[in-house]
Amino acid sequence: MTLKGYHFSGTGAWVDKLDPRWKLAALVPAALAIAFLRHWPAAGAAFIGSMLLAALARLPLRWYLARVGAALIVVAPLAILLPFLHTDGGQRWEIGPLRLSMHGLLAGLRLVLKCLAIVNLMAVLFATAPLHANLKAAQALRVPGLLVQLLMLTYRYIFVLAAELSRLRIALRVRGYRTRPNLHSYRTMGHAVGTLLVRGSERAERVGQAMRCRGFDGRFRSLAEFRTTAADVAFATVIWGLATALLIADWLGFSTFA
Amino acid sequence: MSEPVIRVESLSYSYPSGQRALDQVSFNVAAGECVGLVGPNGAGKTTLFLCLAGVLRVQPGVARVATLDPAEAQQRRQLPAQLGIIFQNSDDQLFNATVFDDVAFGPLNLGLSAEEVRQRVAEPLERVGLTGFEDRVPFHLSGGEKRRVALAGVLAMRPDILLLDEPSMHLDPRGRREFIRLINGLEVTKMIASHDLELILETCSRAIVIDHGRIIADGPCRTLFADAELMDAHGLEVPYSLRSGGVGQ
Repeated sequence: MTLKGYHFSGTGAWVDKLDPRWKLAALVPAALAIAFLRHWPAAGAAFIGSMLLAALARLPLRWYLARVGAALIVVAPLAILLPFLHTDGGQRWEIGPLRLSMHGLLAGLRLVLKCLAIVNLMAVLFATAPLHANLKAAQALRVPGLLVQLLMLTYRYIFVLAAELSRLRIALRVRGYRTRPNLHSYRTMGHAVGTLLVRGSERAERVGQAMRCRGFDGRFRSLAEFRTTAADVAFATVIWGLATALLIADWLGFSTFA
Repeated sequence: MSEPVIRVESLSYSYPSGQRALDQVSFNVAAGECVGLVGPNGAGKTTLFLCLAGVLRVQPGVARVATLDPAEAQQRRQLPAQLGIIFQNSDDQLFNATVFDDVAFGPLNLGLSAEEVRQRVAEPLERVGLTGFEDRVPFHLSGGEKRRVALAGVLAMRPDILLLDEPSMHLDPRGRREFIRLINGLEVTKMIASHDLELILETCSRAIVIDHGRIIADGPCRTLFADAELMDAHGLEVPYSLRSGGVGQ
Protein backbone atom coordinates (compact mmCIF):
# COMPACT_ATOMS: atom_id res chain seq x y z
CA MET A 1 0.00 0.00 0.00
CA THR A 2 1.33 3.40 -0.86
CA LEU A 3 -0.31 6.73 -0.47
CA LYS A 4 -0.44 8.92 -3.48
CA GLY A 5 0.89 12.38 -2.73
CA TYR A 6 -1.64 15.14 -2.26
CA HIS A 7 -1.51 16.87 -5.61
CA PHE A 8 -3.50 20.04 -5.29
CA SER A 9 -4.22 21.63 -8.61
CA GLY A 10 -7.53 23.32 -7.80
CA THR A 11 -10.75 22.90 -9.71
CA GLY A 12 -10.51 26.06 -11.77
CA ALA A 13 -13.83 27.31 -10.42
CA TRP A 14 -14.46 30.65 -8.71
CA VAL A 15 -14.60 28.78 -5.38
CA ASP A 16 -10.83 28.18 -5.70
CA LYS A 17 -10.21 31.89 -5.44
CA LEU A 18 -12.15 32.40 -2.21
CA ASP A 19 -10.24 33.12 0.97
CA PRO A 20 -9.77 29.74 2.78
CA ARG A 21 -10.66 31.37 6.09
CA TRP A 22 -14.11 32.37 4.86
CA LYS A 23 -14.69 28.98 3.25
CA LEU A 24 -13.73 27.22 6.48
CA ALA A 25 -15.83 29.58 8.59
CA ALA A 26 -18.82 29.03 6.31
CA LEU A 27 -18.68 25.36 5.41
CA VAL A 28 -17.74 23.80 8.76
CA PRO A 29 -20.64 25.41 10.67
CA ALA A 30 -22.91 24.52 7.75
CA ALA A 31 -21.80 20.89 8.05
CA LEU A 32 -22.49 21.03 11.79
CA ALA A 33 -25.93 22.49 11.11
CA ILE A 34 -26.67 19.63 8.71
CA ALA A 35 -25.60 17.13 11.37
CA PHE A 36 -28.31 18.54 13.66
CA LEU A 37 -31.17 18.23 11.16
CA ARG A 38 -33.88 15.91 12.42
CA HIS A 39 -36.21 15.49 9.47
CA TRP A 40 -35.63 13.98 6.06
CA PRO A 41 -37.09 16.88 3.99
CA ALA A 42 -34.56 19.27 5.54
CA ALA A 43 -31.82 16.69 5.00
CA GLY A 44 -32.97 16.39 1.39
CA ALA A 45 -32.81 20.15 0.92
CA ALA A 46 -29.33 20.20 2.44
CA PHE A 47 -28.25 17.42 0.08
CA ILE A 48 -29.59 19.25 -2.98
CA GLY A 49 -27.95 22.50 -1.89
CA SER A 50 -24.63 20.77 -1.29
CA MET A 51 -24.78 19.05 -4.69
CA LEU A 52 -25.35 22.45 -6.27
CA LEU A 53 -22.31 23.84 -4.48
CA ALA A 54 -20.22 20.83 -5.53
CA ALA A 55 -21.33 21.39 -9.15
CA LEU A 56 -20.46 25.09 -8.95
CA ALA A 57 -17.06 24.19 -7.49
CA ARG A 58 -16.51 21.81 -10.45
CA LEU A 59 -15.26 18.98 -8.31
CA PRO A 60 -13.33 16.38 -10.34
CA LEU A 61 -15.82 13.55 -10.86
CA ARG A 62 -13.60 10.54 -10.13
CA TRP A 63 -12.08 12.20 -7.09
CA TYR A 64 -15.55 13.13 -5.82
CA LEU A 65 -17.07 9.69 -6.46
CA ALA A 66 -14.19 8.01 -4.60
CA ARG A 67 -14.94 10.05 -1.51
CA VAL A 68 -18.67 9.62 -1.73
CA GLY A 69 -18.14 5.90 -2.20
CA ALA A 70 -16.01 5.71 0.93
CA ALA A 71 -18.65 7.57 2.95
CA LEU A 72 -21.41 5.32 1.63
CA ILE A 73 -19.47 2.20 2.63
CA VAL A 74 -19.57 3.44 6.21
CA VAL A 75 -23.16 4.66 6.22
CA ALA A 76 -24.88 2.08 3.99
CA PRO A 77 -24.96 -0.82 6.51
CA LEU A 78 -26.70 1.41 9.06
CA ALA A 79 -29.11 2.83 6.51
CA ILE A 80 -30.02 -0.67 5.31
CA LEU A 81 -30.51 -2.08 8.81
CA LEU A 82 -32.50 0.81 10.30
CA PRO A 83 -35.84 -0.02 8.59
CA PHE A 84 -35.65 -3.51 10.09
CA LEU A 85 -34.56 -2.45 13.54
CA HIS A 86 -36.75 0.61 14.13
CA THR A 87 -39.42 -0.32 16.68
CA ASP A 88 -41.26 3.01 17.13
CA GLY A 89 -44.90 3.22 16.06
CA GLY A 90 -45.93 4.09 12.55
CA GLN A 91 -46.62 2.27 9.37
CA ARG A 92 -45.04 -1.16 8.99
CA TRP A 93 -44.84 -3.81 6.29
CA GLU A 94 -44.16 -7.47 6.63
CA ILE A 95 -42.02 -9.26 4.06
CA GLY A 96 -41.97 -12.87 5.09
CA PRO A 97 -40.23 -13.01 8.47
CA LEU A 98 -38.96 -9.43 8.12
CA ARG A 99 -40.76 -6.33 9.36
CA LEU A 100 -40.04 -3.05 7.61
CA SER A 101 -40.75 0.22 9.43
CA MET A 102 -41.62 3.50 7.66
CA HIS A 103 -39.95 5.44 10.42
CA GLY A 104 -36.84 3.29 10.00
CA LEU A 105 -36.84 3.89 6.25
CA LEU A 106 -37.06 7.63 6.74
CA ALA A 107 -34.36 7.52 9.43
CA GLY A 108 -32.07 5.65 7.04
CA LEU A 109 -32.83 8.08 4.24
CA ARG A 110 -32.16 11.04 6.55
CA LEU A 111 -28.83 9.49 7.58
CA VAL A 112 -27.66 8.99 4.00
CA LEU A 113 -28.77 12.45 2.86
CA LYS A 114 -27.08 14.21 5.78
CA CYS A 115 -23.90 12.19 5.35
CA LEU A 116 -23.67 12.92 1.64
CA ALA A 117 -24.44 16.60 2.19
CA ILE A 118 -21.62 16.88 4.75
CA VAL A 119 -19.24 14.97 2.45
CA ASN A 120 -20.11 17.36 -0.37
CA LEU A 121 -19.30 20.41 1.75
CA MET A 122 -16.01 18.94 2.97
CA ALA A 123 -15.11 17.90 -0.57
CA VAL A 124 -15.63 21.49 -1.74
CA LEU A 125 -13.45 22.72 1.12
CA PHE A 126 -10.55 20.35 0.43
CA ALA A 127 -10.71 20.33 -3.35
CA THR A 128 -10.58 24.10 -3.67
CA ALA A 129 -7.58 24.85 -1.45
CA PRO A 130 -4.39 22.96 -0.55
CA LEU A 131 -4.49 21.27 2.84
CA HIS A 132 -1.77 23.50 4.25
CA ALA A 133 -3.78 26.59 3.25
CA ASN A 134 -6.81 25.20 5.08
CA LEU A 135 -4.69 24.50 8.15
CA LYS A 136 -3.26 28.03 8.11
CA ALA A 137 -6.80 29.34 7.72
CA ALA A 138 -7.80 27.30 10.77
CA GLN A 139 -4.93 28.81 12.75
CA ALA A 140 -5.97 32.29 11.60
CA LEU A 141 -9.45 31.49 12.93
CA ARG A 142 -7.91 30.81 16.35
CA VAL A 143 -8.00 27.01 16.19
CA PRO A 144 -5.29 26.01 18.75
CA GLY A 145 -1.85 26.07 17.12
CA LEU A 146 -0.95 22.72 18.67
CA LEU A 147 -3.85 21.02 16.91
CA VAL A 148 -3.04 22.66 13.60
CA GLN A 149 0.63 21.72 13.86
CA LEU A 150 -0.24 18.13 14.77
CA LEU A 151 -2.45 17.87 11.70
CA MET A 152 0.25 19.47 9.57
CA LEU A 153 2.89 17.03 10.84
CA THR A 154 0.52 14.10 10.36
CA TYR A 155 -0.06 15.15 6.76
CA ARG A 156 3.66 15.67 6.22
CA TYR A 157 4.81 12.36 7.66
CA ILE A 158 2.02 10.02 6.68
CA PHE A 159 3.65 9.67 3.27
CA VAL A 160 6.99 8.89 4.90
CA LEU A 161 5.41 6.24 7.11
CA ALA A 162 3.58 4.76 4.13
CA ALA A 163 6.89 4.54 2.27
CA GLU A 164 8.47 2.81 5.28
CA LEU A 165 5.60 0.35 5.41
CA SER A 166 6.04 -0.31 1.72
CA ARG A 167 9.75 -1.03 2.23
CA LEU A 168 8.93 -3.34 5.13
CA ARG A 169 6.49 -5.28 2.99
CA ILE A 170 9.03 -5.63 0.21
CA ALA A 171 11.64 -6.79 2.72
CA LEU A 172 9.21 -9.44 3.94
CA ARG A 173 8.26 -10.62 0.49
CA VAL A 174 11.83 -10.96 -0.81
CA ARG A 175 12.43 -13.36 2.08
CA GLY A 176 9.51 -15.50 1.03
CA TYR A 177 6.91 -14.24 3.47
CA ARG A 178 3.28 -14.49 2.41
CA THR A 179 0.35 -13.54 4.56
CA ARG A 180 -1.51 -16.63 5.73
CA PRO A 181 -4.09 -17.15 8.46
CA ASN A 182 -1.61 -18.62 10.90
CA LEU A 183 0.35 -17.72 14.02
CA HIS A 184 3.55 -16.98 12.08
CA SER A 185 1.75 -14.38 9.95
CA TYR A 186 0.08 -12.74 12.92
CA ARG A 187 3.38 -12.61 14.77
CA THR A 188 5.17 -11.19 11.70
CA MET A 189 2.54 -8.52 11.17
CA GLY A 190 2.72 -7.66 14.83
CA HIS A 191 6.48 -7.25 14.60
CA ALA A 192 6.09 -5.12 11.46
CA VAL A 193 3.60 -2.82 13.14
CA GLY A 194 5.80 -2.62 16.20
CA THR A 195 8.80 -1.76 14.03
CA LEU A 196 6.84 1.01 12.35
CA LEU A 197 5.80 2.42 15.71
CA VAL A 198 9.38 2.36 17.02
CA ARG A 199 10.72 3.99 13.86
CA GLY A 200 7.95 6.55 14.01
CA SER A 201 8.82 7.34 17.60
CA GLU A 202 12.52 7.69 16.79
CA ARG A 203 11.73 9.92 13.85
CA ALA A 204 9.47 12.05 16.04
CA GLU A 205 12.40 12.48 18.44
CA ARG A 206 14.69 13.58 15.61
CA VAL A 207 12.09 15.95 14.18
CA GLY A 208 11.68 17.49 17.61
CA GLN A 209 15.45 17.99 17.80
CA ALA A 210 15.47 19.60 14.36
CA MET A 211 12.67 21.94 15.38
CA ARG A 212 14.51 23.01 18.53
CA CYS A 213 17.69 23.58 16.52
CA ARG A 214 15.78 26.12 14.44
CA GLY A 215 14.55 28.06 17.42
CA PHE A 216 11.19 26.39 18.03
CA ASP A 217 9.95 27.44 21.47
CA GLY A 218 6.56 25.78 21.62
CA ARG A 219 4.66 28.51 19.80
CA PHE A 220 3.41 27.71 16.32
CA ARG A 221 3.85 30.49 13.82
CA SER A 222 2.97 30.66 10.17
CA LEU A 223 3.10 33.21 7.42
CA ALA A 224 -0.18 33.26 5.62
CA GLU A 225 -1.36 35.88 3.22
CA PHE A 226 -5.10 36.08 3.34
CA ARG A 227 -7.09 38.91 1.87
CA THR A 228 -10.82 39.28 2.34
CA THR A 229 -12.86 40.32 -0.67
CA ALA A 230 -16.53 41.05 -1.13
CA ALA A 231 -16.94 37.66 -2.79
CA ASP A 232 -15.67 35.92 0.37
CA VAL A 233 -18.13 37.78 2.58
CA ALA A 234 -20.98 37.16 0.15
CA PHE A 235 -20.21 33.44 -0.06
CA ALA A 236 -20.06 33.02 3.70
CA THR A 237 -23.21 35.08 4.22
CA VAL A 238 -25.18 32.98 1.74
CA ILE A 239 -23.97 29.71 3.29
CA TRP A 240 -24.70 30.87 6.84
CA GLY A 241 -28.10 32.18 5.76
CA LEU A 242 -29.06 28.94 4.05
CA ALA A 243 -27.84 26.83 6.98
CA THR A 244 -29.79 28.95 9.44
CA ALA A 245 -32.92 28.86 7.29
CA LEU A 246 -32.63 25.10 7.04
CA LEU A 247 -32.31 24.70 10.79
CA ILE A 248 -35.33 26.93 11.43
CA ALA A 249 -37.40 25.17 8.77
CA ASP A 250 -36.38 21.81 10.22
CA TRP A 251 -37.37 22.88 13.69
CA LEU A 252 -40.62 24.59 12.72
CA GLY A 253 -42.01 23.23 9.54
CA PHE A 254 -40.76 19.83 8.51
CA SER A 255 -41.85 17.92 11.56
CA THR A 256 -45.19 17.15 9.84
CA PHE A 257 -43.35 14.94 7.38
CA ALA A 258 -41.48 13.03 10.03
CA MET B 1 45.09 34.83 18.18
CA SER B 2 41.34 35.41 18.14
CA GLU B 3 38.94 33.53 20.37
CA PRO B 4 37.85 30.23 18.79
CA VAL B 5 34.19 30.18 17.76
CA ILE B 6 33.85 26.60 18.96
CA ARG B 7 35.67 25.63 22.10
CA VAL B 8 35.24 22.24 23.66
CA GLU B 9 37.09 21.20 26.78
CA SER B 10 36.81 17.76 28.35
CA LEU B 11 33.30 17.20 27.11
CA SER B 12 31.81 13.87 28.12
CA TYR B 13 28.33 12.59 27.46
CA SER B 14 26.51 9.40 28.37
CA TYR B 15 23.07 8.44 27.12
CA PRO B 16 20.36 7.65 29.70
CA SER B 17 20.96 3.97 28.97
CA GLY B 18 24.45 4.41 30.41
CA GLN B 19 26.26 4.15 27.10
CA ARG B 20 29.21 6.53 27.12
CA ALA B 21 29.08 8.33 23.78
CA LEU B 22 31.74 11.02 24.32
CA ASP B 23 34.76 10.83 26.60
CA GLN B 24 36.82 13.89 27.48
CA VAL B 25 36.61 15.45 24.05
CA SER B 26 38.58 18.67 23.60
CA PHE B 27 39.19 20.78 20.50
CA ASN B 28 38.87 24.32 19.17
CA VAL B 29 37.65 25.65 15.86
CA ALA B 30 38.66 29.10 14.66
CA ALA B 31 36.38 31.48 12.82
CA GLY B 32 36.10 30.63 9.14
CA GLU B 33 37.67 27.18 9.50
CA CYS B 34 36.19 24.12 7.88
CA VAL B 35 36.92 21.05 9.98
CA GLY B 36 36.07 17.48 9.07
CA LEU B 37 34.90 15.09 11.79
CA VAL B 38 35.53 11.50 10.75
CA GLY B 39 35.17 8.17 12.44
CA PRO B 40 33.37 4.84 12.18
CA ASN B 41 29.67 4.31 12.90
CA GLY B 42 28.91 4.89 16.54
CA ALA B 43 32.04 6.97 17.10
CA GLY B 44 30.09 9.88 18.57
CA LYS B 45 30.03 12.34 15.67
CA THR B 46 26.29 13.00 15.71
CA THR B 47 26.25 13.03 19.50
CA LEU B 48 28.96 15.70 19.50
CA PHE B 49 26.96 17.86 17.09
CA LEU B 50 23.82 17.48 19.19
CA CYS B 51 25.79 18.49 22.29
CA LEU B 52 27.14 21.60 20.54
CA ALA B 53 23.63 22.51 19.37
CA GLY B 54 22.31 22.24 22.91
CA VAL B 55 19.95 19.39 22.04
CA LEU B 56 21.76 17.03 24.41
CA ARG B 57 22.54 18.54 27.80
CA VAL B 58 26.17 18.69 28.84
CA GLN B 59 27.92 20.08 31.88
CA PRO B 60 28.12 23.89 32.05
CA GLY B 61 31.42 25.30 30.89
CA VAL B 62 32.65 22.38 28.79
CA ALA B 63 31.56 23.86 25.49
CA ARG B 64 31.26 27.33 24.07
CA VAL B 65 29.75 28.00 20.67
CA ALA B 66 29.99 31.59 19.41
CA THR B 67 30.50 32.67 23.07
CA LEU B 68 27.31 30.86 24.11
CA ASP B 69 27.22 27.96 26.53
CA PRO B 70 24.79 25.29 25.24
CA ALA B 71 24.34 24.10 28.83
CA GLU B 72 22.82 27.41 29.97
CA ALA B 73 19.10 27.67 29.18
CA GLN B 74 19.07 31.39 28.35
CA GLN B 75 22.13 31.14 26.09
CA ARG B 76 20.87 27.93 24.50
CA ARG B 77 17.80 29.82 23.28
CA GLN B 78 20.10 32.17 21.39
CA LEU B 79 22.04 29.36 19.74
CA PRO B 80 19.77 28.78 16.68
CA ALA B 81 20.62 32.25 15.38
CA GLN B 82 24.35 31.44 15.59
CA LEU B 83 24.58 27.75 14.80
CA GLY B 84 22.82 25.74 12.13
CA ILE B 85 22.83 21.97 11.86
CA ILE B 86 22.01 19.80 8.85
CA PHE B 87 20.88 16.35 9.93
CA GLN B 88 21.74 13.04 8.27
CA ASN B 89 18.21 12.41 7.07
CA SER B 90 16.62 15.39 5.37
CA ASP B 91 13.13 14.04 6.05
CA ASP B 92 13.75 14.67 9.75
CA GLN B 93 14.42 18.30 9.01
CA LEU B 94 11.69 19.07 6.48
CA PHE B 95 8.58 18.97 8.59
CA ASN B 96 6.35 21.54 6.97
CA ALA B 97 3.81 21.11 4.20
CA THR B 98 5.63 23.24 1.63
CA VAL B 99 9.20 24.29 0.90
CA PHE B 100 8.33 27.92 1.63
CA ASP B 101 6.88 27.08 5.03
CA ASP B 102 9.88 24.97 5.90
CA VAL B 103 12.48 27.58 5.03
CA ALA B 104 10.38 30.25 6.77
CA PHE B 105 10.14 28.17 9.96
CA GLY B 106 13.43 29.37 11.45
CA PRO B 107 13.04 33.10 10.63
CA LEU B 108 9.49 33.03 12.02
CA ASN B 109 10.83 31.60 15.27
CA LEU B 110 13.30 34.51 15.39
CA GLY B 111 10.33 36.87 15.50
CA LEU B 112 11.10 38.61 12.22
CA SER B 113 8.53 40.61 10.29
CA ALA B 114 6.60 39.07 7.40
CA GLU B 115 8.62 41.05 4.87
CA GLU B 116 11.92 40.00 6.40
CA VAL B 117 10.81 36.38 6.54
CA ARG B 118 9.95 36.45 2.85
CA GLN B 119 13.36 37.86 2.07
CA ARG B 120 15.04 35.26 4.28
CA VAL B 121 13.22 32.57 2.33
CA ALA B 122 13.95 33.94 -1.13
CA GLU B 123 17.68 34.47 -0.60
CA PRO B 124 18.74 31.00 0.53
CA LEU B 125 16.44 29.33 -1.99
CA GLU B 126 18.16 31.28 -4.72
CA ARG B 127 21.52 30.40 -3.25
CA VAL B 128 20.81 26.68 -3.34
CA GLY B 129 19.26 26.93 -6.79
CA LEU B 130 15.67 26.19 -5.77
CA THR B 131 13.88 29.41 -6.64
CA GLY B 132 10.42 28.42 -7.84
CA PHE B 133 10.17 25.48 -5.44
CA GLU B 134 8.28 27.43 -2.79
CA ASP B 135 4.98 25.62 -3.22
CA ARG B 136 6.45 22.15 -3.65
CA VAL B 137 5.68 19.40 -1.15
CA PRO B 138 8.91 18.20 0.52
CA PHE B 139 7.97 14.54 0.19
CA HIS B 140 7.95 14.81 -3.58
CA LEU B 141 11.47 16.21 -3.85
CA SER B 142 14.51 14.19 -4.83
CA GLY B 143 17.18 13.41 -2.24
CA GLY B 144 19.40 16.20 -3.52
CA GLU B 145 16.58 18.71 -3.55
CA LYS B 146 15.58 17.78 -0.02
CA ARG B 147 19.16 18.26 1.15
CA ARG B 148 19.29 21.67 -0.50
CA VAL B 149 15.97 22.71 1.06
CA ALA B 150 17.30 21.60 4.44
CA LEU B 151 20.38 23.75 3.85
CA ALA B 152 18.23 26.69 2.78
CA GLY B 153 16.16 26.32 5.93
CA VAL B 154 19.30 26.58 8.04
CA LEU B 155 20.86 29.39 5.99
CA ALA B 156 17.66 31.40 6.43
CA MET B 157 18.70 31.77 10.08
CA ARG B 158 22.01 33.33 8.87
CA PRO B 159 24.16 31.35 11.29
CA ASP B 160 27.90 31.98 11.64
CA ILE B 161 28.54 28.30 12.27
CA LEU B 162 27.28 25.32 10.32
CA LEU B 163 27.38 21.69 11.41
CA LEU B 164 26.74 19.19 8.62
CA ASP B 165 26.09 15.57 9.54
CA GLU B 166 26.81 13.18 6.65
CA PRO B 167 25.89 15.75 3.99
CA SER B 168 26.49 13.37 1.08
CA MET B 169 24.29 10.57 2.43
CA HIS B 170 21.51 9.53 0.02
CA LEU B 171 22.90 11.82 -2.70
CA ASP B 172 23.70 10.62 -6.18
CA PRO B 173 27.03 11.75 -7.69
CA ARG B 174 25.49 14.83 -9.28
CA GLY B 175 23.72 15.82 -6.05
CA ARG B 176 26.92 15.23 -4.13
CA ARG B 177 28.95 17.44 -6.49
CA GLU B 178 26.32 20.18 -6.27
CA PHE B 179 26.30 20.02 -2.51
CA ILE B 180 30.08 20.18 -2.29
CA ARG B 181 29.97 23.27 -4.48
CA LEU B 182 27.39 24.83 -2.19
CA ILE B 183 29.35 24.01 0.96
CA ASN B 184 32.54 25.46 -0.47
CA GLY B 185 30.71 28.67 -1.32
CA LEU B 186 29.58 29.26 2.26
CA GLU B 187 31.79 31.72 4.12
CA VAL B 188 30.97 30.51 7.61
CA THR B 189 32.69 28.29 10.11
CA LYS B 190 31.90 24.69 9.28
CA MET B 191 32.24 21.26 10.82
CA ILE B 192 31.42 18.34 8.59
CA ALA B 193 30.89 14.85 9.96
CA SER B 194 31.22 12.26 7.24
CA HIS B 195 32.42 8.84 6.16
CA ASP B 196 32.97 10.33 2.74
CA LEU B 197 36.65 11.14 3.15
CA GLU B 198 36.89 12.40 -0.43
CA LEU B 199 34.24 14.98 0.44
CA ILE B 200 36.22 15.99 3.52
CA LEU B 201 39.34 16.37 1.38
CA GLU B 202 37.44 18.60 -1.04
CA THR B 203 35.93 20.82 1.63
CA CYS B 204 38.15 20.83 4.71
CA SER B 205 41.75 21.60 5.46
CA ARG B 206 41.71 20.02 8.92
CA ALA B 207 40.18 16.85 10.26
CA ILE B 208 39.46 15.34 13.65
CA VAL B 209 39.37 11.56 13.92
CA ILE B 210 37.00 10.31 16.61
CA ASP B 211 36.41 6.75 17.73
CA HIS B 212 34.56 5.30 20.73
CA GLY B 213 33.80 8.84 21.85
CA ARG B 214 37.45 9.90 22.06
CA ILE B 215 39.49 12.15 19.83
CA ILE B 216 42.19 10.05 18.26
CA ALA B 217 43.88 12.56 16.00
CA ASP B 218 43.54 16.19 14.95
CA GLY B 219 45.48 17.64 12.05
CA PRO B 220 45.66 18.37 8.33
CA CYS B 221 43.29 16.16 6.33
CA ARG B 222 45.80 14.90 3.82
CA THR B 223 48.30 13.94 6.52
CA LEU B 224 45.77 12.08 8.64
CA PHE B 225 43.97 10.35 5.80
CA ALA B 226 47.21 9.18 4.20
CA ASP B 227 48.10 7.32 7.41
CA ALA B 228 46.88 3.84 6.48
CA GLU B 229 47.52 2.45 9.95
CA LEU B 230 45.52 5.19 11.60
CA MET B 231 42.68 4.82 9.12
CA ASP B 232 42.58 1.05 9.43
CA ALA B 233 42.69 1.11 13.24
CA HIS B 234 39.58 3.30 13.36
CA GLY B 235 37.33 1.73 10.77
CA LEU B 236 38.29 4.05 7.92
CA GLU B 237 40.21 3.74 4.68
CA VAL B 238 42.79 5.85 2.92
CA PRO B 239 40.80 7.78 0.29
CA TYR B 240 41.41 6.62 -3.25
CA SER B 241 42.81 10.01 -4.26
CA LEU B 242 45.59 9.66 -1.67
CA ARG B 243 46.62 6.12 -2.48
CA SER B 244 49.73 5.69 -4.53
CA GLY B 245 48.61 5.79 -8.17
CA GLY B 246 45.36 7.51 -7.16
CA VAL B 247 43.98 10.66 -8.79
CA GLY B 248 45.37 12.95 -6.13
CA GLN B 249 48.89 11.68 -6.47
